[in-house]
Parts: sequence; structure tokens; C-alpha cells
Amino acid sequence: MQGQTISLLMSNVESIPGKNVVSSLGLVTGSTVRAKHIGKDIFAGLKNIVGGELKAYTELLNESRNEAIQRMMMDAHARGANGIVNIRFATSNVAAGASELFCYGTAVVVE
Amino acid sequence: MSESTMIILYIIASIVVPLSFPFISWALGRWYQAGITSKLMENEKILGSILDDKMSVTTSNKVSMIGAEYSTLLHVSLCVGPSMGQMFFMWLKSIFGGRLHSYDVVLDFGRREALLRLKQQAAERGCTSIVNIRIETSVVSFAKTQKSKQASVEFLAFATGIR
Repeated sequence: MQGQTISLLMSNVESIPGKNVVSSLGLVTGSTVRAKHIGKDIFAGLKNIVGGELKAYTELLNESRNEAIQRMMMDAHARGANGIVNIRFATSNVAAGASELFCYGTAVVVE
Repeated sequence: MSESTMIILYIIASIVVPLSFPFISWALGRWYQAGITSKLMENEKILGSILDDKMSVTTSNKVSMIGAEYSTLLHVSLCVGPSMGQMFFMWLKSIFGGRLHSYDVVLDFGRREALLRLKQQAAERGCTSIVNIRIETSVVSFAKTQKSKQASVEFLAFATGIR
């Protein structure tokens, strides 16, 4: 986001493979709540005549998950971490027409 | 004479078309989903077998990570749903219970496609193995009204890719 690129080492296992974890900086989280614009809703409705993959939804969810990850990375970056381990994702239907995408992990300093 | 036949035809059409919609949608859904499933199986043959040779894919997180020079988080999400006609027949079927074949097919397709895309993503980034694969399933609905609520299922597959 905001033009800056933060590069962090990320993994969903207990450590960063090939690196040593020096210290842990606690839980970092990122979340985003998204709703879809009505035009795409109509197209997804048309797609539901045949079923299968709903590309409009897939795109939207990918986009929003990337944003949630970006927020988590910014959180970790603000704490001075250079890696996040044990990342988990969660999706929940918070309201009609909106979904929350949430991701969390442990910020660590690795060398 | 011709006007009255037109009216009769119109009445018949206005009854038959809405009634036949579930059948049409069901048939179209079966046909379309058979198409995408066979395409997926082709891709699995082409890409899956190539990847399986050089890639070790595991759900375990206890692997030897000594010598790993690069690791990255991989995540793929995919949204699938059955067709409206299939949903209508599944609603009928659910009165008696039993196996809902249409849902089986759709969910199986979604999960396999998600795993395949995960492998593709790993191959793009030059990973040689994928560890700690997790697959999550959740119901997403962005429909604005309760009436148009469509059952779409999201599959999220995430893993760590190692080179």
C-alpha cells in the first residue's frame, strides 16, 4: 500500500526455513472487510446459471486477502520485525453482503 | 385466429419457461461442470505429474529445513458454487436426505483446482517443495438480499514453499 514495498520473510511453519529466529515480537494481525459492487453481483448471478467457479468472487477475495496481508506486514514492519511465522487465515461472514478476511501471525526477527 | 393462437402460445410459454428453468439450469450446469472437470484432470496430468516428480508436497511442518535458501508464503483462494437448477434439485433431495451428488462434484472440483493452482504458484516462484499445506473452507455470500442469496463456497489453500 501507499507505494512503499515492504519485503518480509513469511511462512506458515514454526520458523523461517533456512534462517534462525532471534527474537519474537508478538502477534501481528491484518484484516479487511469487503463488499462487492452490484454490477459484479449481477454477473455472478448470471454465472450461477451454470455454476462452477465464480471468477468475480475469486478475484475479489484474492484482492482483499492481499490487502489483509499487506496490513499485517505493515504492522510487523512497524515493530521492527523482518519476518512473520505461523501465519493463519480466517474468513467470516460478518454481515449480509460483506465478508471479513483476517490473517494473523507472529512477528519475529531472523538472521 | 392467428391472434388467439399467439395468445395461447404466449400463455403456454409463460408457464413452460419458468417451469423448465431449473431443468435447463441443471442440464447446463452438469454439462459445464463436466467440461471444467475434464480440463482440470488434463491440467493435473500435465502439471501435476511434472510437479510431483521434483516437488515434495506435504502437510507436515516437521521437515528438515537445513539448506533451504528461500521460503515464501503461498496462498490461493477459489470460489465455487453449484448452478441454480442443481440447488433447486438439491433442495428437493434434502427432503429425503442422502448423498448430494451435485455438491460433491462442485466441492471436489474446487478443492482440486485450489491445490493445482497452489502447485502452479509454487512452480512459478521456483520452489522445490511445499510444506504445511492447509485447506480451509468457508461459505461466502456477497448477495445484497436474502432472496438472491447464492451458496458459494470459498476454498483457501495456503502453504510454505521452499527452495
